[in-house]
Amino acid sequence: MKPAPFDYVAPASVEEACATLAEACGGAAVLAGGQTLIPLLNLRMSQPFILVDINNIPELKGITRVDHGIRIGPATRQCDAVDSDILIQDLPVIVEAVRHVGHHQTRNRGTVGGSITLGEPAAELPATAVALGATIEIRSSQGIRQVSADEFYLGPYMNVLEHDELVTGITFPGWPQGHLTIFRELAQRPGDFALVGLVGALAIEAGKITHAGLAWFGMGPTPMKARQAEQLLIGQSLQDIDPEIIAESAVADTAPFDDQHTSAEYRRTVGTRLFARALLEAIDAQEAV
Amino acid sequence: MNAPTQISGPKATENIQETQLAIKSESQLESKSENKPSEKPSHDAITSGRYIGQRVRRKEDPRLLTGRGQFVDDISLPGQLQVAFARSPIARGDIVAINMDIALDVPGVHAIYTQQDLACYNVDMISFFLVSPEVEITPLANGRVAYVGEPVALVIADSRAIAEDAASLIEVEYAEQDPVISIRDAHHAPPIHPGTDDNIAAQMGEEDIDEDLEAELQRAPHLITHTVVHQRISQSPMETRGVLVTFDGSEEITLYITCQSPHMVARWVSIALGLPPAAIRVIAKDVGGGFGLKNHPWKEETAVILAAMKLRRPLKWIEDRYENLIGANQAREQEMALQIGFDHDGTLIASHGNYSCNNGAYPQLAECNIAVHMFVWAAYKMPTYGFLTRGWYTNTVGYAAYRGPWAMETLIRETALDVAARRIGLDPIEIRRRNLVTLQDQPTTSCMEIPLEDVTPAECLEKLLTAFDVAAFRQEQAAAREQERYLGLGLATYIEPTGAAGAITTMTGELAQVRIEPTGKVTATMSTHSQGHGTATTMAQIFADRLGVAYEDVTVFEGDSSRGGFSPGAAGSRQGVIAGGAAIKAAELLADKTKLLASHLLDTTPDNILIDNGMVSVAGQPDKTRSLADIANIAYGEPDRLPEDFEPGLEAQYRYQPPPMTFSSAANACVVEVDSDTGFVKILRWISSEDCGTPINPAIVEGQISGGLAQAIGMVLLEEVGFDERGNPTTATYKDYHLPAISDVPDFEFVHANTPSQSVGGMRGVGEGGAIIGAPALVNAIADALSPFGEVPVELPLTPVKLLSVIEGRDLSRKTAAPANTPAQEGNTSVAEPVTPATAPEPAIAPATATATNTVAAVIDGDWKMILSTPMGPQEISGHFETQGDLLSGYLSSPEGQMDFSGTAEGNNLKFDLKVQKPMKITLKYNLTVDGDKLAGKCKMGIFGSAKVSGERA
Repeated sequence: MKPAPFDYVAPASVEEACATLAEACGGAAVLAGGQTLIPLLNLRMSQPFILVDINNIPELKGITRVDHGIRIGPATRQCDAVDSDILIQDLPVIVEAVRHVGHHQTRNRGTVGGSITLGEPAAELPATAVALGATIEIRSSQGIRQVSADEFYLGPYMNVLEHDELVTGITFPGWPQGHLTIFRELAQRPGDFALVGLVGALAIEAGKITHAGLAWFGMGPTPMKARQAEQLLIGQSLQDIDPEIIAESAVADTAPFDDQHTSAEYRRTVGTRLFARALLEAIDAQEAV
Repeated sequence: MNAPTQISGPKATENIQETQLAIKSESQLESKSENKPSEKPSHDAITSGRYIGQRVRRKEDPRLLTGRGQFVDDISLPGQLQVAFARSPIARGDIVAINMDIALDVPGVHAIYTQQDLACYNVDMISFFLVSPEVEITPLANGRVAYVGEPVALVIADSRAIAEDAASLIEVEYAEQDPVISIRDAHHAPPIHPGTDDNIAAQMGEEDIDEDLEAELQRAPHLITHTVVHQRISQSPMETRGVLVTFDGSEEITLYITCQSPHMVARWVSIALGLPPAAIRVIAKDVGGGFGLKNHPWKEETAVILAAMKLRRPLKWIEDRYENLIGANQAREQEMALQIGFDHDGTLIASHGNYSCNNGAYPQLAECNIAVHMFVWAAYKMPTYGFLTRGWYTNTVGYAAYRGPWAMETLIRETALDVAARRIGLDPIEIRRRNLVTLQDQPTTSCMEIPLEDVTPAECLEKLLTAFDVAAFRQEQAAAREQERYLGLGLATYIEPTGAAGAITTMTGELAQVRIEPTGKVTATMSTHSQGHGTATTMAQIFADRLGVAYEDVTVFEGDSSRGGFSPGAAGSRQGVIAGGAAIKAAELLADKTKLLASHLLDTTPDNILIDNGMVSVAGQPDKTRSLADIANIAYGEPDRLPEDFEPGLEAQYRYQPPPMTFSSAANACVVEVDSDTGFVKILRWISSEDCGTPINPAIVEGQISGGLAQAIGMVLLEEVGFDERGNPTTATYKDYHLPAISDVPDFEFVHANTPSQSVGGMRGVGEGGAIIGAPALVNAIADALSPFGEVPVELPLTPVKLLSVIEGRDLSRKTAAPANTPAQEGNTSVAEPVTPATAPEPAIAPATATATNTVAAVIDGDWKMILSTPMGPQEISGHFETQGDLLSGYLSSPEGQMDFSGTAEGNNLKFDLKVQKPMKITLKYNLTVDGDKLAGKCKMGIFGSAKVSGERA
């Protein structure tokens, strides 16, 4: 469990980082919090010849309010996201999701961008980005592009990034004050990747749902957006919806898998229940207000 | 400060009362009887203590908790080199060629050895019982490999990283054979080891049930057949295996090795390598857990010793976690069926057990299967029992011990009794009360000829029931069921033979050597060994107690084979019982000697001498009080003042031979809630009622029980070593092998139901009981909770998917494709459509018939389901093949996505390449052979080596 030899650079700017990535022609790996990369290096499952450490690039860190939303620097530590007043006030579901990422100790080092970029199918943050409609800012020496989280993931640990590109920001659109948040995760032990989980938000105006963002994790090769359920919810009043029917339609948009921890059928069965439970609780919470 | 203190009169009485109060409150962890190391030892306070039975702070903890423990990897020697192994990527095959040229060229590499290089040393890989193996076992693979992870070559380099670089460059060509992985396969497959008739590694009992026994079973009004499938377990010590070996001269070996007894390792190495025992010194000061894995060295450690002998350089090998999870011997993987005949009232009539264990390729303990049946019914009034027990060779890593060797019989018996109670309509408490051997029944002899004199499972159960209101629970359970909440109560009882000595060559007594130094302080040398047991603490408590000195003034040395005498260390819950007895006897000898000298010096008789708190006094004559140091100074330095024939110094030793077996007993109650929506289990309460005889230190007793129960929780709910059908481990990291975390373990409650044993000091072993009784208690609780839905098959671990299957009455665990989903097609079409076998598009052409004129195409064309056995576990892939003459095209799809390829098809041989980006850019080179509806072959994956591919027509 010792990594294969590699070089190491810690550029001070995005430009420098991108130049190194371009020069490495795919042989580089970006080091943010290292909570996945370092074990992969030690297992020799990843053998880059150069590590580009982005922790010395100030502009990649921090959580700020921007026009119509919140921007999170990819190298922002997960522990800082948990403590962020901005997130707690504006998008508390992100805080809830980050609390479920790994353990206290790993969150001290792990980054928001690292988790989102990696795209573990059963991880919380990629699904959160997809559910809330986040936009991922990607830069290279050639320029800058914005990709919606929805389009970012291609498969487990696979995304649209080219080898010379770096994620430089994640922007979450603002959700109206008073929106409902939904977060449910079933994992064998706290901190494990989910057997099944779901995350999202519902915006409500004048008693009707005006905007719904819902996504699953652990229910397919990528975060799975519950499009049909979102469609069914829009325009409804909370009192009128049937959580069971919505849950059924939400599970229809998944492609769960078998692994040694559980089966696709378990994920589908329990996922439906979790979804219905989560909706019921959200409704109860809303009525309690 | 050292002014003589008179210890008599009212003050002493007060102190005794205080001690009694302290003992009464021992069930409270924060009892005031704890000594506080931060405070300067107050002689008055310490004098009050009799140390046996007190929760004193552990002597080991300051160094362990401040990171100053001394584990193998904390030791470095000048000139040491590091070792890494090249391991077999296949489960079974012959080694055709090994090419080490490129690896040897890596700068920093000193040597690479294969078994051929080590063949000059005769090695006998004996078992814990010093028995030679039935099959040839060599430190490195000898011409063939028999499990994935078997060490094939040993690389020696300046650093571990360089050694790993070189190991990855060793090219080994294998002629692969079909492996035998499961117990079931081992029954029928040809033997995996040449020169053997079958795959039976060890066998006892009769294959056919005795006629009389069969008749008894058949006449039983209730005949229960209960089966348990116990998964394979990784012992998972926090400190993985490791060794640092150095040669200080000709045949003078010093081994730093993580182990369970330095003396046992020295003995094993001496016999296995044919070296003079005096030439071997084994040191293991601190050990991060053993649990049975570290009873003695195995292939890797032996190879490192031989390599160091050959190269004449100090060598260090520290097993990494990946190696530990694939290459270190493992435990359990047992299957057992138990038939039990009951009378109408639930009285036991007869029983038969059939047990199988997966011994792997090179078991460390092939013969340990014999233990299973001895105690299945020992504590129950079972008239007759018959059995068959077999250990099976398979192409998996070998079998080793695990904490609680009596676990399987306890698990199957206690879960079977609950099944029977439900079937017969009895309360689980009642079925035990009717059949358990009570103290009134003893002495007696079990149906397996085990003499019982003082086992107390029935008494532990009754004490447990005073601490747990069963009737109130049943009401709560009934009320909860009304609300579709499922609570369950699990009870279990057990006995365990601990402190075994005298029947097996390595299971000996213990030696205690103790002296009062000229300073008046006490030093003891023990052959006990702690892997967390806290023996330096408990032994010091005994010496302090029995010599009349302060606990702080006693130092216990252990962990070094050059000190003390032989003992197997931690094995079978024995150290407290046997070493405790040895310490008591040695302390008494030393106290007698000290009193003899003191009486001579103080002009009285030994009977009148009192030793307390390091002070020696004469009863009723306080002016004659002297410190132990004063007496010791004379004993060592002033021979003229000694009595005639008095051996100078204050030293004593005693080797204690205990009774052959000392039984521990316990009863546990566990309360759970099972979520009927998810199959998740929440442990609500857990009470342990155990009889461990005299508890030397109740906090250590509770720590031992808690640790065992935590491992039992892991066994029942979480842990499982897995293999795919080609023998590739599917649990190679802790991401997939789930150990219980603190969140999975409740706060245990303790009822100390102790009765002194007949061994000196009255101790009974308590190291393993929690690991044994915990599993049936938890399984029974889950089964009770889910009894409205039917019986829970005891196939560990009881994962949420298995329990939800019971709840729903359908098998949710089957690995079938999902029903056709209809992912929303509207919206953004660039969203990654999941490409899985379930959603893969239908092939454009029907298999086999599309090009019927082409015989090659008829064999190959169509859809295939394949398994790619990667180092990180099996990967399911769907493949679509189309041939046109010798040209092959198609696509592979997996959860990662779909990729097209083109290649060649020559006859039934397919070759094609795929370029992938993750986990890095590599080209996958497939070479497959189609045979009817099956295919098999290899995929070369660049630096990751080759992976097996198997498949069948979809």
